[in-house]
Amino acid sequence: MNRLSALALQLRAVWMLLGVALILFIATPYFFTRSNLLAIAMAASVTALLAIGETFVIILGEIDLSVGAMLGFCSVITAMVLPRAGLVMGLLAGVAAGICTGMINGLLVTKVNMPSFIATLASMSILSGLTLYLTQGNPVGVSSDAFRSIGQARILAVPAPIWILLVCAVVFGILLARSRFGRQVYATGDNFEAAHLSGMPVTRVKVAAFVISGVLAGIAGFILTARLGTAQPSAGKGLELTAIAAVIIGGTSLTGGRGAVLGTVIGALLLGTIDNGLNLLNVSPFLQDVVKGAVILFAVFVDRNAGPIRAVVQSLKRVIPRTQSPTKESAPTP
Amino acid sequence: MQLKLRGIRKQFGENEVLKGINLTVNGGEVVALLGENGAGKSTLARVISGAYPANEGTVEIDGSRVAFHKPQDAMKAGIQVIYQEFRHNLFPQLTVAENLYAGERSGRHGRLWSNRVLMQKDADEVLRSLGMAMSPRSLVRDLSVPQQQMLAIAKAIGEDASMVIFDEPTAALDQAESEALFVQVRRLREEGVAIVYISHRLTEVFGLVDRLVVLRDGVVALETIPANSSEREVVAAMVGRPIENFYPKEQHATDHTVLQLRGLSSAGHFSDVDLQVRAGEVVGIGGVQGCGKGSLLRSLYGLLPVTGGEVQLEDVVFRPTTPRAAIGSGICYLTPDRQNEGLAVQQSIARNISMATLDAVTSAGMVNAQAEEARGEKMRSALNIKAPSVRTPVSALSGGNQQKVLLGRWLMADPKVLLMEEPTRGVDVGAKAEIYRVMNEQTSRGVAIVLVSSDLPELVEMSDRVIVMREGRVVAELAGDDISQESVLHHALESATP
Repeated sequence: MNRLSALALQLRAVWMLLGVALILFIATPYFFTRSNLLAIAMAASVTALLAIGETFVIILGEIDLSVGAMLGFCSVITAMVLPRAGLVMGLLAGVAAGICTGMINGLLVTKVNMPSFIATLASMSILSGLTLYLTQGNPVGVSSDAFRSIGQARILAVPAPIWILLVCAVVFGILLARSRFGRQVYATGDNFEAAHLSGMPVTRVKVAAFVISGVLAGIAGFILTARLGTAQPSAGKGLELTAIAAVIIGGTSLTGGRGAVLGTVIGALLLGTIDNGLNLLNVSPFLQDVVKGAVILFAVFVDRNAGPIRAVVQSLKRVIPRTQSPTKESAPTP
Repeated sequence: MQLKLRGIRKQFGENEVLKGINLTVNGGEVVALLGENGAGKSTLARVISGAYPANEGTVEIDGSRVAFHKPQDAMKAGIQVIYQEFRHNLFPQLTVAENLYAGERSGRHGRLWSNRVLMQKDADEVLRSLGMAMSPRSLVRDLSVPQQQMLAIAKAIGEDASMVIFDEPTAALDQAESEALFVQVRRLREEGVAIVYISHRLTEVFGLVDRLVVLRDGVVALETIPANSSEREVVAAMVGRPIENFYPKEQHATDHTVLQLRGLSSAGHFSDVDLQVRAGEVVGIGGVQGCGKGSLLRSLYGLLPVTGGEVQLEDVVFRPTTPRAAIGSGICYLTPDRQNEGLAVQQSIARNISMATLDAVTSAGMVNAQAEEARGEKMRSALNIKAPSVRTPVSALSGGNQQKVLLGRWLMADPKVLLMEEPTRGVDVGAKAEIYRVMNEQTSRGVAIVLVSSDLPELVEMSDRVIVMREGRVVAELAGDDISQESVLHHALESATP
């Protein structure tokens, strides 16, 4: 893809983020404070992690509706394993749960040839049901101080979850943009048959993307549990839609073949900022989803109408010199 | 009806595609519109049909000025267009009959509830009168590409057209189907319909049309009648300079056998095919659509299961399983369908070129983007791909240049055997010559080429040897002076002649 246009797509989310930030900066003195900005990033880190995994899946032209349910499942697994086997095993167990469910999703889509919408809709239902059954609907408390400190610890005055998000964004961003696997993701998502005929391991690429989605759901579940101190069985409910929204706002095309991790992270931050701003401005929480929906529509509108919008801007530019030109032309005539 | 265009200009942004076109088409006349890709043929067709408004100029029908703002306006005036992307005009989930009458306004087949029995009866009649063997009840998505093309044509000419524009109608058709189409075109002409016929295939145009109009860079470069002209003159007008030898075939065949098939079969597609291809040789495969020539290439590439026989590649037995395995063994396959299974059009030229050979620019799992672009750059100049940069997305290129990108991908893989299916489909004259040059260059380096093409002159001129298939079997092998369009056709159609 043309690098400039790829960047421009992600820049669109940056402009929107800056615009919203500017409005909030003017509207309320509390917005642009260190603690508030960190709170936004903290809150966004969970959706951003889910959305990074979702980015891989969506660039492949598929969708993963189960990320929210996976997060709930993984965090409950983490919270159950942790008291018995320690911190590291807890994290590994959560991530392993994510890998397994992601693998199942991927195999359903590739080997069983199910549309990803259906396959992950089903696994969403199965996982959230399993999570409720395992916990009997009760939150699983974690008493380990070391674990909780991860949710609250600060490195260089920045909370650990934000560092984890940063590391994941860089690692998976580079994986997508620079690695052979990333190329295969773009090519497969752009034209599956062409990638297959070029000898790319298209099935493996798709399964891997769903596994990545699972891994990141595991990490996100770990962070969320550490932050809250308990694993809520319904923690991930509805998060899949926020994650997908972040991906779309970040300029990734739902039809596949186009997108990037940076845009997704900015999309998640934008949604987090909007949430935060509406709270600061005392907007009814019931209206917040309305605003978020409007932002998604706006982002997609800009994306779809980039050509016409540019044409309007250009014609405006052309009109301005034209209104001036008659004076120039009339000058030499006697 | 008489259609008269005067001073038509059309511009997209800064890019002026039509620069003042004057053209008259009379009822009962077939006018060929010729030109390279990007000359403005399709744009002109869209202006006539109301899909694009012209920036300047007038359109007159029978002397009175008309302005079409949308295709429906033109259809009301009796102008029907069969676009190159004819599949856009069909509903894949509906039946043939339902497609035929989708635009019907008379209410003959019911208004709220459709009378399927009557519809199918009518459809059957229409199909039969057009000589098309398909059931009105079959779903369009189950039809083959040529059948869909014929259906799109039947649909357009069925709707009381007084003018029909054909945009590359034979691109997906083989010789026999093309002939059936020509019969229809001539019948329409008899009925007084005005016809604009856009095509890259000069041979068929000369036999069919009453007048030739060549566009070059948005202006009419030549207007003549076939009797006073020659293919050479038309080609010269299309490219702006005379082309000396259109098929610059060079002989590079050696004695060294690279690919050998013994009794190769794929159930339901072809059976018992024996074939030898030597280094530096081009072996053409002729035959009508569905004779198994395309399936043979696809099975060699691991896309169709081999159910019998054996493939030997140089000294070892090769079992085609997947494209990946085939590429690894030095077999590459140029698909005839570059849109659906060839190119990743949102990706850059460089990335498309390296799709099959990413490993060469990868170390420790990471792609070296500079090396990748340098390779793309090399291929771009070697194949003369016209684009601002190797970072340009492939979607921005013309058909000919897209095909060169696809070809570049396989040249990058350094194949031993290159399977080419319809290498010049929908490609302009300049790019065609370029592709033939590449074939010569590859054979001179010892690459063995298997060429499947429904463009008969191309098949005959570019092949060292031609085998002809019919109903899944090899029925003839032609070499030297025996290779001619007539002999290929004769063997391909033999069952049809008593």
